[in-house]
Amino acid sequence: MLNYWDRLYALLARMEALLRGETLAFKAVPARRALSQLVVVIGGFGALYGGVMGSFGGVEGDRILQICYSAIKVPILLLGVFALGLPSFYVFNTLMGVREDFSKAVRALMASQAGLAILLASLAPLTLGWNITSLDYPMTILFNGAMFGLATGGGQILLRRHYRELIERDPRHLILLRIWGLQYGFVGIQLGWNLRPFIGTPGHAVSFFRADTWGNAYVFLFQMLHDMFLKK
Amino acid sequence: MLIWLKHLDRVIRGEAIRPSALRSGDLEQPVGGLAVIGILLGALYGLCMGVFGLFQHSHTALLQMISTIVKVPVLFFMTLAVTFPSLYVFNALVGSRLSMLSVLRVLVISLAVMLTVLASLGPIVAFFSASTTSYPFMLLLNVLVFTIAGLLGLRYMRVTLQRLTAAVAMPVVPPLPTEFPATDQFADAVDPMATVESVRPAGPVGPLQPTVQLRQNRDVQRVFQIWMVVFGLVGGQMAWVLRPFLGNPAIHFAWLRGRESNFFEGVLQALHRLFS
Repeated sequence: MLNYWDRLYALLARMEALLRGETLAFKAVPARRALSQLVVVIGGFGALYGGVMGSFGGVEGDRILQICYSAIKVPILLLGVFALGLPSFYVFNTLMGVREDFSKAVRALMASQAGLAILLASLAPLTLGWNITSLDYPMTILFNGAMFGLATGGGQILLRRHYRELIERDPRHLILLRIWGLQYGFVGIQLGWNLRPFIGTPGHAVSFFRADTWGNAYVFLFQMLHDMFLKK
Repeated sequence: MLIWLKHLDRVIRGEAIRPSALRSGDLEQPVGGLAVIGILLGALYGLCMGVFGLFQHSHTALLQMISTIVKVPVLFFMTLAVTFPSLYVFNALVGSRLSMLSVLRVLVISLAVMLTVLASLGPIVAFFSASTTSYPFMLLLNVLVFTIAGLLGLRYMRVTLQRLTAAVAMPVVPPLPTEFPATDQFADAVDPMATVESVRPAGPVGPLQPTVQLRQNRDVQRVFQIWMVVFGLVGGQMAWVLRPFLGNPAIHFAWLRGRESNFFEGVLQALHRLFS
């Protein structure tokens, strides 16, 4: 029991060091353990924020389900986009000739994801406050979007910090980072769209997915813009 | 099988086409196993493509998936068969001393690189296939993925051909030191069409980086660029001939569709349907 708490404490201390910019925080940890620890961090803190998101509709009756669903969905979103993009990232890294640095690159990416998750979780009390005081569903969506935006910004700062060492060694890493960013955004938007609802329309039945708009985010976005600007 | 995967690994890391490995003027990489792995990778991508039909709730989804799994490798190897003779002839015309077998090997490993990139983008395509109901979107996404894979494979091929040509052009035996300066003795041995300068990039050399800057005249470069465009055109039209890959949910299933229209009209129509 003591050992478990010690390890957890050590992990949190390492994450704090990571946030402060000590890029070598996980250096002593063997690669596989470091990655599994980062997955745990992303899963744990992501679930925390997801649960808070889902509490907008209240906690009575089956709204508890929405809290649970959202707590599951945010880690799926963060980890899923990462996993989908890894095979092609691996091949691009190899073709560009920087395969030796691949494990470092993956660690850097995962570290920034973990940073994003922690930042999100740190914004959870703020979101909770908003949920308690606001009844406006569209504004809540925007608010949560802004929270995600803040966390993403923080994640980018971390990413740049960790990747700077790699880029200094070899400028090809910058190209690969851009490719990763493009891919991540492309897949992330679609996965985020598919995993809706995260907040859940208050007063409506709670469901894991929204049955009516299971489809393509980009097609939907385009239709929306098209209707807005071309159909008068 | 494992040894073939190791070969593929050598190929995509660029070890198989390192200038030191090409010194004999031929690819020492055996390509039979690579061709088999390539077929499997293509089939894997076909599986990812076929996921689209599964989520469309059509009863011919499984048939369409089998059809696509077979067609993706066939597409690549048939394009190889159609464009290989012209590549050999173009290569010979520009003064390269590569044998027919060498050129075939180069083309096969470039195909292996294309299929590796394709298969690595498979998870993303499978995800979009499962979550998208829009047929034109999936069509265009697949065209994009095939284009990326094709471009990277062609770049790999161009670098390999340049390195091979340079290796064959340079005199293998260095001149023995004599009393008289020997510099002019071997001037004729160098291929006048391909004067070589070594370009040493910083850091480990990747397989997509040219290490030799062949001072070929503009015509030679133009010839290869034309061939690559031809490869792209043949590939696109071959995909059209072999259609359907995704299976338009509005039309009944068929192993092959009739001869009408062409690839470019098909893509334009899909763009039009998506944006209207």
